Amino acid sequence: MTTASRLSRYLDPKVLASMAALEIKARNVVEGFIEGLHKSPFKGFNVEFSEYRQYVPGDPLKDIDWKIYARTDKYYIKEHEEETNLSGYLIMDTSGSMSYRGGNAPLSKLDYAATLAASLAYLMLKQQDSVGLVTFADGVRKILRPRTGMAQLKAICTELEQTKPTDRTDIGDTLDRVAETMRKRGLLIIFSDLLDNTELIINKVRQLRTRRHEVLLFHILDHHELTFPFEDTTLFRDLEDRSEIIADAFSLRREYLRRMQQFVGAFQSALRKSGIDYLLADTSRPVEASLKSFFTRRQAVGARLA
Amino acid sequence: MPLSFGNPWFLAGALTVAVPLWLHLYYRRTPIPRDFPSLRLIRLSVEAMTRRMKLRHLVLLALRILALVLLTLAFARPFVGGGSVAATGSGSPAAFVVILDNSLSMGTTHQGISLFNTARARAVEIIDQMGQYDKASVILCNDPGTVLFPQLTWDKDELKNAVRNAPLSVSGTNLAGALQPALKLLLPVRAFKRTVYLVTDMTKTAWEPLLSAYDLKRIDPTIDLVVIPVGGAAPPNIAVTELRIDEPMVMKGRPVTVRATVVNHSDQPQSTRLSILIGEDKKSEQAIELGPRGSKRVDVPMTFGDEGLQHVRAVLPADALPQDDVRHLAVRVRAPPRVLILCPPPERGGMTSREDLFLKFALNPLGRTEGATFLVDSRTLEETAGLQLSDYTAVFLVNQRSLPEALVKGLSKYVLGGGNLITFCGSRVDPTWYNANLIDGLGGGYLLPARLFKRVGNAVSKAVSYQLTDLDTGHPAFKPFEGDGAGDPGRAPVYEFYQTQPNPSALVLARMSHGLPGIIEERRGQGRSLLITFTADTSWTTWPLRPTFLPFVHASVMGMVTRQGLNADAVTPGTPISMTLLEEGLKRITLTPPAGPAQDIPIRREGGEGLLHVTLPPGEQPGFYRLRLEGSAVREEAFAVNPPAGESNLERIPDKKIVRFIRLEHKAGSKQSISRQVVAVREGRDVSMPLLWVLLLAVFIESVLANRPIRAGGGPRI
Repeated sequence: MTTASRLSRYLDPKVLASMAALEIKARNVVEGFIEGLHKSPFKGFNVEFSEYRQYVPGDPLKDIDWKIYARTDKYYIKEHEEETNLSGYLIMDTSGSMSYRGGNAPLSKLDYAATLAASLAYLMLKQQDSVGLVTFADGVRKILRPRTGMAQLKAICTELEQTKPTDRTDIGDTLDRVAETMRKRGLLIIFSDLLDNTELIINKVRQLRTRRHEVLLFHILDHHELTFPFEDTTLFRDLEDRSEIIADAFSLRREYLRRMQQFVGAFQSALRKSGIDYLLADTSRPVEASLKSFFTRRQAVGARLA
Repeated sequence: MPLSFGNPWFLAGALTVAVPLWLHLYYRRTPIPRDFPSLRLIRLSVEAMTRRMKLRHLVLLALRILALVLLTLAFARPFVGGGSVAATGSGSPAAFVVILDNSLSMGTTHQGISLFNTARARAVEIIDQMGQYDKASVILCNDPGTVLFPQLTWDKDELKNAVRNAPLSVSGTNLAGALQPALKLLLPVRAFKRTVYLVTDMTKTAWEPLLSAYDLKRIDPTIDLVVIPVGGAAPPNIAVTELRIDEPMVMKGRPVTVRATVVNHSDQPQSTRLSILIGEDKKSEQAIELGPRGSKRVDVPMTFGDEGLQHVRAVLPADALPQDDVRHLAVRVRAPPRVLILCPPPERGGMTSREDLFLKFALNPLGRTEGATFLVDSRTLEETAGLQLSDYTAVFLVNQRSLPEALVKGLSKYVLGGGNLITFCGSRVDPTWYNANLIDGLGGGYLLPARLFKRVGNAVSKAVSYQLTDLDTGHPAFKPFEGDGAGDPGRAPVYEFYQTQPNPSALVLARMSHGLPGIIEERRGQGRSLLITFTADTSWTTWPLRPTFLPFVHASVMGMVTRQGLNADAVTPGTPISMTLLEEGLKRITLTPPAGPAQDIPIRREGGEGLLHVTLPPGEQPGFYRLRLEGSAVREEAFAVNPPAGESNLERIPDKKIVRFIRLEHKAGSKQSISRQVVAVREGRDVSMPLLWVLLLAVFIESVLANRPIRAGGGPRI
């Protein structure tokens, strides 16, 4: 723990301590939902022989079994069943809107998401899974490829700390890049306030799911965004594009909350129908509470899968 | 209604409307800046809310301004009243004129209640509200109208007594004739609150002439015009609107047709019975069916047995308006008129002149002595000595070269005294003698309507013929030829005639085809003189052979006869009759009204020459009026006074047509009596309390609206 606490401000000892109590459960949970992934259905080239198949243009030349060629004068490729640990990406929205920190909130949205991400990275690396990080705003900013070992945790935390929330949000492009990068089936955990085109986000996430990736989505929203507690005539400034609008917040609240409910409801219903785990994270809640509810939900999913 | 204020300085408080305006604008301009992750949802919400917000803001702003304005107005104690209150303030004294409709239509009774009594009561109610410093007048608006107080008076009792004693007239309504003097009385008293109160039954026939002839909106707006309708809806009414005899002359024993017109002034079919009476003797009675708003003309053949003045009446059973159920007609029944023909000397063979023959035939075709229209006496000049010209109704002067001086003077006196002279020209006529002796030599008593000049045309060669044109069919002489197919005197050729120059006061009844006068008439004193510029036989024209000659001669004489004396065919109640007489010996005139003793009429002598002027007092009662003129001889005239037919139509005028007038309605059983309404108009009504109530309501609505969250509506999805 101390090592971890030194690593990053995002590895909050209190959080990690609370996670320690959850560790067994978490392990079960993590193992639960990554069970089956360890025995990958993807054909690899590492451990056990699987089968031969004829070469088709496009296959890498290095995979050709030259011995067979010598014997048969035909190109064959020897395939093996892959057996590896879980590989996952933490996809972090670092757009300007993530810098928002409402009145009494202890953390900004980005800090809250980073804490969640670091905590989950710690858990995964601890059980020898590989974890990578993607940060994005109006495009991909940084990609750390998945690796195992605690050095990766340091790299992730360092990257998270150095990232400044700026620019607009463009999730669609980012998810396309991640899909290209992550050819193997894996776990994608997205942290974002999803303030982009709703239908586009849902479609892109569904596409990831279609590629058999396991997708988890943390919808990070500030308490003020969810409750809109303002009462005066207010000049609202957009944190992404700096545009402004004057509105009577008191009279606007009812309409705003209706639309916010509609906004959240749209993700909830669409993603859950597609088997994508969606969790609304209110930054006013303690991080451990959000993780706890996350694990509780995953446990239920694991039990269902078992 | 215009406003006035008890405390007008409080109106300065209206400036406080600036406070909510300033607050409204201030809060719009100083929003609190705040960062927010994304304005997407806010922008969508704002778009959906903007219209509702804007409307609400405007409503709230309006309510707040209204509240302040109402508060200010309430403190200023506004009075709602007429233009007079606005002009002078609510505390000023009042000057007003009560116009009381006492026309015939106000005589309607409904369920035993007289409309006029109700109107008088309303007028007294108005006068009762008169204050100590107020002054007023009363005008009756029958035709021609009576101003009971030519000056505005402070004497309330006198005004009330005048109203209580105001008589119901049987004449028409003259609203304009009453309104004009009322305005004239009020115009000078600008310091007073000025009002004209009109108490009337709102009949269409009374209002339409006023509304069509006058623009009421142009009346001084500081004078209030108030109308107080009485009587409600129009009751059904049937009236005799016409009674006449078409024949120009009614003669004893000769059948005539009495024509009566009965009108139903209701929307329902009606049946009634019409009686025709001569004096008190009922001569005819018949049932009549009338359609809705329909009329019926009834012709009753009748023969008068006695000469003299007769009173004919058409009578219906009494209804809601009994005054128009009787109509009167004064008829003079005459003996056949005597006509003298001064014929030219006999022809050379001792034969009677042809002109004499043609005229005698035209006047009395069958030569009867009994039952003839005219009794003709034909004399030569030699036979006129000792003849009493006044025994004849008309004298024909036919183609005479000259006349004895005594006869000329006699004829002049005869015509001025009421006789009729008809002159035919011919070859014997000497224009120079005629002009010198029948015009110039007689001074003012001349006999010819035109001066004679040369002869035009040639009756021997008959090379050119002329026709009579431009016939004056309005004149009794040519009345028979008025309609199509009634004959045309212009079809007879005239080969020769005298060129004439008519006197200034003469009428040209017909012209020859090239424009020269053909037949000329002039009134001379009480009589008339008619000049025909050609012959009465066929030597210059073939007209005497034509069928139109006889009616012309008859109509000319009858027209002259019937237009003598008092011409009072259409006398309406309240109209004075004025006449000028040329009777030097007239000593006394007495008028006997329908109900009441005979009264002497003063005679006014004008200028001399026996010219008298007589003005009869206005006959207020419908009926038969007999006039007795006593002088060297006694003569009687008569005329009938009937109510105007238009007054029988009781149809009410629609309210929307009455512009400019404030309408005060008396409602039975209601607290809103006329006197209260009169006070409300005169003093205005203090509306500060209702304004405070409206203010409270506005404040309440503002509170509810300002604190009510705006309902979230639908909109585009995120």
